[in-house]
Amino acid sequence: MLGKYAKTIVLFIIMVGVFAVMVIFLQDKFLTVTNFQSISSQIPEFGLLALAMMLAMMTGGIDLSVVSITNLTGVVAAIILTKFAGPQMGEGQIILIIILAILAAVAASLVCGFINGFLIVYVGVPPILATLGTMGLFLGIAVVITEGHGVTGFPDKFLYIGSGTIGVIPIPLIIFIICTLIVALALNKTSLGLSIQMLGSNPVAARFAGINNNSVLVKTYLMTGLLAGISSIIMISRVNSMRPGYGYAYLLTAILVIVLGGVNPSGGFGTVSGVVMGVIILQLLQSGFNILAFSPFFKKFIWGFMLLLVMVINFIIAGYQQRSGKLKTRA
Amino acid sequence: MNTKIKKIFKHNEIYLFLIIIVFSLIITSINPAFLTLENLFDLTKSSAGMGILAIGFFIVLLSGGIDVSFTAIAIAGQYISANVLMASGVDNIFLAFLISCSVGVFLGAVNGIFISIFKLSTLIVTLGTLSAFHGALLAFVGTKAINTAELPDCFKVFGHKNIFMLSRADGTSYGLSVYVLILIGVVIFSWLILKYTMLGRGIYAIGGNRESALRSGFNIVGIQFFIYCYVGFLAGIMGVMHISLLRYSNPMYIVGTELSVIAAVVLGGARITGGTGSILGTLLGVVMISILEKNLVLMGLSSYWHQFFVGLIIIVGVSITSYQNKRRSIESLTFR
Repeated sequence: MLGKYAKTIVLFIIMVGVFAVMVIFLQDKFLTVTNFQSISSQIPEFGLLALAMMLAMMTGGIDLSVVSITNLTGVVAAIILTKFAGPQMGEGQIILIIILAILAAVAASLVCGFINGFLIVYVGVPPILATLGTMGLFLGIAVVITEGHGVTGFPDKFLYIGSGTIGVIPIPLIIFIICTLIVALALNKTSLGLSIQMLGSNPVAARFAGINNNSVLVKTYLMTGLLAGISSIIMISRVNSMRPGYGYAYLLTAILVIVLGGVNPSGGFGTVSGVVMGVIILQLLQSGFNILAFSPFFKKFIWGFMLLLVMVINFIIAGYQQRSGKLKTRA
Repeated sequence: MNTKIKKIFKHNEIYLFLIIIVFSLIITSINPAFLTLENLFDLTKSSAGMGILAIGFFIVLLSGGIDVSFTAIAIAGQYISANVLMASGVDNIFLAFLISCSVGVFLGAVNGIFISIFKLSTLIVTLGTLSAFHGALLAFVGTKAINTAELPDCFKVFGHKNIFMLSRADGTSYGLSVYVLILIGVVIFSWLILKYTMLGRGIYAIGGNRESALRSGFNIVGIQFFIYCYVGFLAGIMGVMHISLLRYSNPMYIVGTELSVIAAVVLGGARITGGTGSILGTLLGVVMISILEKNLVLMGLSSYWHQFFVGLIIIVGVSITSYQNKRRSIESLTFR
């Protein structure tokens, strides 16, 4: 119909529509500063997870371990922040510790991503099972380190990341926007990004076209891990604590937003803009549900139901496009 | 004789069996009470439920799919049947099974519709239905736990039923639970289907190569629909067994144990790509995981290590079979 921007335009319309519905039905309660503040504080950490999952899905795989990676890297950072930073330390030292914690978290996330990539590429484990296993493994390590307890009490300077602002924009949002731009650029303008899309679309053809599938896949899962690590830093600085087991509701909703945002679970198709809009739509809905005081169980039901609904709608649209000759799908 | 022994060692199951033996010996050396008949009976009773779920998951895996919603189906079947029995005042275990299995088949059919008719990705569909089913159960049916006092007697009686009894030194008795019979029944029924029916052939075929199966004339839609309904049915059975075992029902239970069941099945040698695996391997996997879960504390590791080990086992188990598969496909120049 409208070419390759069709999906993006439809999403934009849906996003505006949801916003309009929220405003109309929940007027004063929705249009408050606190409401928008809470929406914009949730978007970054969740959005980064969605981006992470998107990269994995675009290669035709999936990364179920993203939340476990955030748990583990969060625990690593939290331990460093609490064990080494004492109130009696000078400001310079505290900043050093904070930088160390962040670097450690990033390193941990890259290691996790590499483990995923290694299992999938060099051992040949299908992504579903590999990340299912690492999901348990990484969470298990986090639980063993903290013995199930939470870790709290981070230095104020660190909390600045989570709750500080530059101008009116919260720092987490700035981080998220930067990451989004980088990922979008990487996907569309770099050879790695194009390789990812081609690999996801048809791995065998990509291999014969000269793409080093192994290296592309490993890099993809490294990036996934990295994004998850960044998300965890934002997460723990926002709530000033880290407890293993936190955030697992994000797993299903992350898959939901990227499928909503137009990512094809079999790989190859997807846009960052779609995912971002999907994230926004979800957060708007989430905030609406909170105002309406839906129980968390009902929300759980709705997210699951929505995922199925979106998948069915995609299926119908793809069938329609196929019949009208517009979409060339693989067998 | 030499070639026969060599042939046995080609199967993954024998290695798993040896590992279980070694493991049991290690545990018995720490805790001599492990290898007693009573403890083994107890182990059988408590892992029968997991065994049934594992068989269901195994069949799904054979067909090249994945189903993570079986735990939600099990708890839904359990909770709904318990509530119905309590509300209606009927105290019949067969009715409980009927309700639970009906709920299970119904929910399994929902999975089946999305997967076979809409041809959606099995993992994502079942992730969605896991959330939807469990959320619906908690939101629409209720969240109130059922304690032992309120639980209808039929469950408690069923939980205690034994095939035969033996007596201990002090005169009290213990026995082998009927759960074993149910497990054996499920095993035989599943084995018969897989080995001796076209349906079973179809399951293996779809898992091996879906396109080939389609062109060979298999009714892919029907077979897949059956598979997910069957998983739901088995989950319903497990739900009733679970509530009778615990004499307690909390709708938040069972969900969250998916990884253990999956670990057991992949440990038993079933390949995610589908097409191969055996029920025996699955059962051995369940035995291994059960022993591991119950004796982690004995080995000096706190329960915090449980999650770690389950994840590790999945990774190691899947790595071995995947790597073998990879080598095989490289040697035969096939591109997976």
